[in-house]
Amino acid sequence: MVVVFLHGWSPNAPFPLIGAYRYVAIALPAMLLSMFVLIGAALPAKSLSVVEVVEAQRGLWNVVRQPLGLPLFMALGLAITLRGPFDYADGAELAGGTSAEESGPALALWKFARAAMLVAFSAMAATAFLGGHLGPVLPGPVWLLLKTLAVMAATVAAGRFFVRMPPARMLTLLWVVLLPLSFASLALVGVEVLP
Amino acid sequence: MTDALFLALSALAIWSGWRVFRVDSMVRASFQLMVSFIAVGLIAVLLAAPYIGIATIFMMAVEMMVMALFMVMFMMNPAGLNPMVMVHQHRFAVAAGIVAFAGLSAAALLSDLPSNPVPQGADVVRALGHELLGPSMLIFETAGVTLLATMIGAVVLSARSGRYSDSDAGSVPPGLTPGGAPAGRQPENGGGHHHHGGH
Repeated sequence: MVVVFLHGWSPNAPFPLIGAYRYVAIALPAMLLSMFVLIGAALPAKSLSVVEVVEAQRGLWNVVRQPLGLPLFMALGLAITLRGPFDYADGAELAGGTSAEESGPALALWKFARAAMLVAFSAMAATAFLGGHLGPVLPGPVWLLLKTLAVMAATVAAGRFFVRMPPARMLTLLWVVLLPLSFASLALVGVEVLP
Repeated sequence: MTDALFLALSALAIWSGWRVFRVDSMVRASFQLMVSFIAVGLIAVLLAAPYIGIATIFMMAVEMMVMALFMVMFMMNPAGLNPMVMVHQHRFAVAAGIVAFAGLSAAALLSDLPSNPVPQGADVVRALGHELLGPSMLIFETAGVTLLATMIGAVVLSARSGRYSDSDAGSVPPGLTPGGAPAGRQPENGGGHHHHGGH
């Protein structure tokens, strides 16, 4: 988020700056949301260690046990990869937003960074909610790769499928609907883990 | 190696901390402050306090973003674009700075610090967690809720749509050049008589 902001602020031009500030306002609550969701994924494992989180899903994957978790985490994925409904930074209506003033190698590097973010996010989602390397027959790394690819495809599809709302309405949706939903998800996980 | 890292990070922290007050834009100042705090966080990691170090880095990254956002929402110098001086009350600031530096240096150099090395395999993060959620929980929760209430109160008091009237009534943004005409939108009723359209 810091990088996206600085990327938009540094060209010293109106469109990138508007994109940067708009993005910060939207991405902050999206980030908060993912925090509660990830704590929810770590609770049954009683550890923040990724290995432990995967081990705790041996019986039942988190995507089934915490049905709200993955969809809410996908919102973060769309936000940090600047995609579809959460692409307030680089939108076409701002002539490219934070990258409006860029071309050539700099733009290629920016696009590469966005793609790298998508891969990193998908791998984390596959690990925290889809049981990571767990799966029958095939070896572990293959399963992780398949799940990561599936999350990537789903994220790209979600970016194409959903419309982008005006920032004010999106802000209301995030703070008033999605954030309480993430609280509810965390509370449900807590109740489930309690005994 | 550790010593070299420590020296480099300390130098970075001090240099960027100094730059906070010498740059002329709020955004630059915010992010210089962030660099300074990240260097301090990495020093904490070197001092075998990984949780505090990493937490500092993440917290400061988010905090500086929030600061940048609040700048747009509340400051009369929107988006931190107008050049502005980061210090005021020069004489008092210089005196206070020297006194604070001398006092803290004296405290660090003269006090008899205990030598209590952490054993190699100590679970520092676990111990910290037990402390935070055990004996000290009441203190931390009280402090946290107080800070939150203060922040909400400050936002409510400084919001433009204030309780009694527009909170920025009659205020004039700083100029784009020192002593120049105010930048940006002019207040509709009264205020500056220069019709300077901004950018």
